[in-house]
Amino acid sequence: MSALLEVDNLRVAYGKIEAVKGISFAVEAGQVVTLIGTNGAGKTTTLRTLSGLLKPVGGKVVFDGKPLTRVPPHKIVALGLAHSPEGRHIFPRLTIEQNLQLGAYLRKDSAGITQDMQRAYDLFPILGERRKQAAGTLSGGEQQMLAMGRALMSQPKLLMLDEPSMGLSPIMMQKIMATIVELRAQGTTILLVEQNAQAALSLADQAHVMEVGTIKLSGTGHALLHDDEVRKTYLGED
Amino acid sequence: MQHRSLLILTSVLATGALTLTACGSRSNDNKSNGGGGSSSSSSSNTTVVIGVDAPLTGANSATGLGIQYGVQIAVDDANAKNLVPGVTFKVKALDDKAQPATGQQNATALVADNSVIAAIGPLNSGVAQSMQQVFASANMVEISPSNTNPTLTQGKDWATGNKVRAFKTYFRTATTDALQGGFAADYAYNTLKKKDAFVVDDKQTYGAGLAGIFKGKFSGLGGKIAGTDHVNTGDTDYSTLVTKIKNSHADMLYYGGQYDESELITKQLKAAGVNIPLMGGDGMFSDTYIKTAGKAAEGDLATSVGVPVTTLPAAKDFISTYKSKGYPGDYGTYGGYSYDAATAVIKGVKAIMDANSNKLPAMTDARSQLVDAVQKSDFDGIAGHVSFDQYGDTTNKQLTVYQVKSGAWAPVKSGTYNG
Amino acid sequence: MHTLPQQLANGLFIGSMYGLIAIGYTMVYGIVQLINFAHGEIYMTGAFGALAVYTNLPSGTSIWLALPLMLIGGGIVSVLIAVGAERFAYRPLRNAPRLAPLITAIGLSLALQQAVFLWYPGGDNGKRFPQLPGGPYHIGSVDIQSGDIFLIVAAVVCMVALATFVRTSRTGRAMQATAQDPDTAQLMGIDTNRIIVIAFAIGGFFAAVAGVASGLKYGQVKFDIGFQAGLKAFTAAVLGGIGNIYGAMLGGLVLGIAESCASAYISNIPGMEQLGGGGWANVWAFVLLIVVLLVRPQGLLGERVADRA
Ligand SMILES: Nc1ncnc2c1ncn2[C@@H]1O[C@H](COP(=O)(O)OP(=O)(O)O)[C@@H](O)[C@H]1O
Ligand SMILES: [Mg+2]
Repeated sequence: MSALLEVDNLRVAYGKIEAVKGISFAVEAGQVVTLIGTNGAGKTTTLRTLSGLLKPVGGKVVFDGKPLTRVPPHKIVALGLAHSPEGRHIFPRLTIEQNLQLGAYLRKDSAGITQDMQRAYDLFPILGERRKQAAGTLSGGEQQMLAMGRALMSQPKLLMLDEPSMGLSPIMMQKIMATIVELRAQGTTILLVEQNAQAALSLADQAHVMEVGTIKLSGTGHALLHDDEVRKTYLGED
Repeated sequence: MQHRSLLILTSVLATGALTLTACGSRSNDNKSNGGGGSSSSSSSNTTVVIGVDAPLTGANSATGLGIQYGVQIAVDDANAKNLVPGVTFKVKALDDKAQPATGQQNATALVADNSVIAAIGPLNSGVAQSMQQVFASANMVEISPSNTNPTLTQGKDWATGNKVRAFKTYFRTATTDALQGGFAADYAYNTLKKKDAFVVDDKQTYGAGLAGIFKGKFSGLGGKIAGTDHVNTGDTDYSTLVTKIKNSHADMLYYGGQYDESELITKQLKAAGVNIPLMGGDGMFSDTYIKTAGKAAEGDLATSVGVPVTTLPAAKDFISTYKSKGYPGDYGTYGGYSYDAATAVIKGVKAIMDANSNKLPAMTDARSQLVDAVQKSDFDGIAGHVSFDQYGDTTNKQLTVYQVKSGAWAPVKSGTYNG
Repeated sequence: MHTLPQQLANGLFIGSMYGLIAIGYTMVYGIVQLINFAHGEIYMTGAFGALAVYTNLPSGTSIWLALPLMLIGGGIVSVLIAVGAERFAYRPLRNAPRLAPLITAIGLSLALQQAVFLWYPGGDNGKRFPQLPGGPYHIGSVDIQSGDIFLIVAAVVCMVALATFVRTSRTGRAMQATAQDPDTAQLMGIDTNRIIVIAFAIGGFFAAVAGVASGLKYGQVKFDIGFQAGLKAFTAAVLGGIGNIYGAMLGGLVLGIAESCASAYISNIPGMEQLGGGGWANVWAFVLLIVVLLVRPQGLLGERVADRA
């Protein structure tokens, strides 16, 4: 059986500079896969290419059996790939409710949408309390919750999260990580990009370490968490 | 890829725009060439070109085309009658779009063209100011059939009586605003019995000059100036002005400017229920004014230089030629003066050839000799007697007041006016 | 000062025309940060489209029957030109330097003006436009022409319809999302190219409505009316806060009223006699713009740029 997402020798460039230099990995349905690596390694570039915002210069992406490389972003969403971007990018002048509704932009089942919206409020009660408030007034952590909730509203087969813990207080970070654990328990397939390697590796089934555009190391989350090299470089241990 | 498509697109659009502009002028050129081809009797002919500069497209183009084809007919007549044996005259018409900068470029182009002996034009006083020096430096005759701003011949202090001729190469067959504004004021006060005039101008050399003279003369006669205002050329909404006029209880509106604005002003004025006549100068004496303003134009007045070309027996052939050739534009206002201006040049060429054993001197000499020859002009043209005073102004100081009656300009008073 | 109500009304009428045109600038700018300088010509071609419809109706057709057809005809012309410009001129330049679409817009402007000038029969001079019968109507000391009533009604209807559309429809919300963050909007499944086309189309249609209103009000249209109207509407859009549709209408009204009052009353101020009158209206319009931008750089209803992600 083939994986839900297969990335094969993907290459992406900004002008003449190649930011992703031929990476390959796969995400099986039901798994949490993480990409870790230092700033500038090419993680965000990879995710933006998967969701169609960037066009690759080479390689193949197959999602749910369909090639993605020439599909425009809005059609990729329709195929079941959701992307919660780095820096959250909620719509600041729309309300929380409207942000969530936009997450369900392509869905027609209004009953299902209402149900999923309620589920998002259950997952993040603060969003429910402030549903009529402009999203720009939320704190950073709350905005991250909204971004995740919004991505879930499309009922994705695969949820891509780009640095959900970036810039958050330790408490907030824990809460976000706990939510990811909860989503995994519900069976959501997740591709997680994180700088907080400790947290990411401890909940990932599969992990890949990126360095200047290539995948340097792959393995189960558990294995990499105990890899000496990884511990030294990414977990700050001597 | 991105850059290439940008380049292609921008150039396509730019070329598109240019082509369209070019089309506009090319079609005019074709017409003038077609009109010029009716001559050439002998094979040893010298060709002498008379330049024309006028707005041939855009604002004022109806009147501008009247100038171009007025000259064309004079040239065709001269060629057909072999008025200057051994010389075939041709017309080279350039479009100044009523823009001073374009006029100046055209003047430079005409001066640079070694077959051009003199130029007729421009239509607009403002454009003339930018061209006079170019012709003066080249010692080349320029005769305007329509410039009416006194400054052009008599210098900027003419109003204080300190008249100085600035350019001895500049002549005109039309008389000046100094007379038009006063003639209008005289008619408004004494004939129409108007006592309260609201005076508006478009801030241009021509319009402001005209309005200023009207104002001075009208109040000098004992009339009241109910208010004054200025507008911008290209404006379309005059509601503020209309409200002011209405509130001033003026019994007439005098407008110094062109028909492009006055046709809108009169329409908005009448629509607001202010049924007072709008009076202006020759800048609005055009059929376009009536066509666009429609019923609102009824009863409006305009002064124009000279006597109506349609009432002149001498101009009968001119008018029938103009009509039968199907030339575009309005000949009514300046067509006759353009014809006479071109004739002055043609007769001047004959005079210098007569004095030079029937040969045309080298162009630079011919041009400078023509300045003296034109200054000495003395003949009966189709629009009246043609001769010039010491400033280059016409000695033919006839003016006419026209009024819109049943959808057409009808002459209501002609006369000679000397201030 | 008893002309004040009338002058305010004059400003209100011309201001709602500026506002209608300004919406096209502001919607397009809000979504693609592009100043479509050809928008004034889209307004002009809309008016000519409507005139062409009128001319081709059997003579004697009632203006009330003709008017809806003229709005449709003018609307089709303007929308096609606006959408065509987006698709073939601006879209290929979307990632090019800012100057490229600007130059393109100027080229397009010239081309449209020249096209009407050359190819519309009699297009090189003013063309008469049908006017609405009736009027002027008197409300207190204010005279209102039939054309002004059409203008005000059209502005209100357009504005309410647009506000309702943007606020309540799914596409309207997608439009807001695209304006706030186009990349993320795509991640929601929004086809942002379609949204951009819709913005151009709405702006084009409103411009056509303004074009028809202008024809009815002044009884005439001309190939060069787009230049000044476009410039004023652009000023109105910036004044109101570019990107904000309510700002565009408010900016239009403020500009219209300011112009009208400035040209009516500034010359009454002792020492300012030379600076009043209609000839100075444009100057005061831009003085107003500069003053507002000094105090509120984002315009009257504009959001601070910092809010933009
Ligand atoms: N828009 C861009 N234009 C040019 N270079 C970019 C752009 N975005 C990212 N890069 C470069 O691509 C490389 C990978 O960046 P990114 O994918 O953001 O890394 P990460 O998410 O792993 O921190 C970096 O060297 C970065 O400087
Ligand atoms: Mg990143």
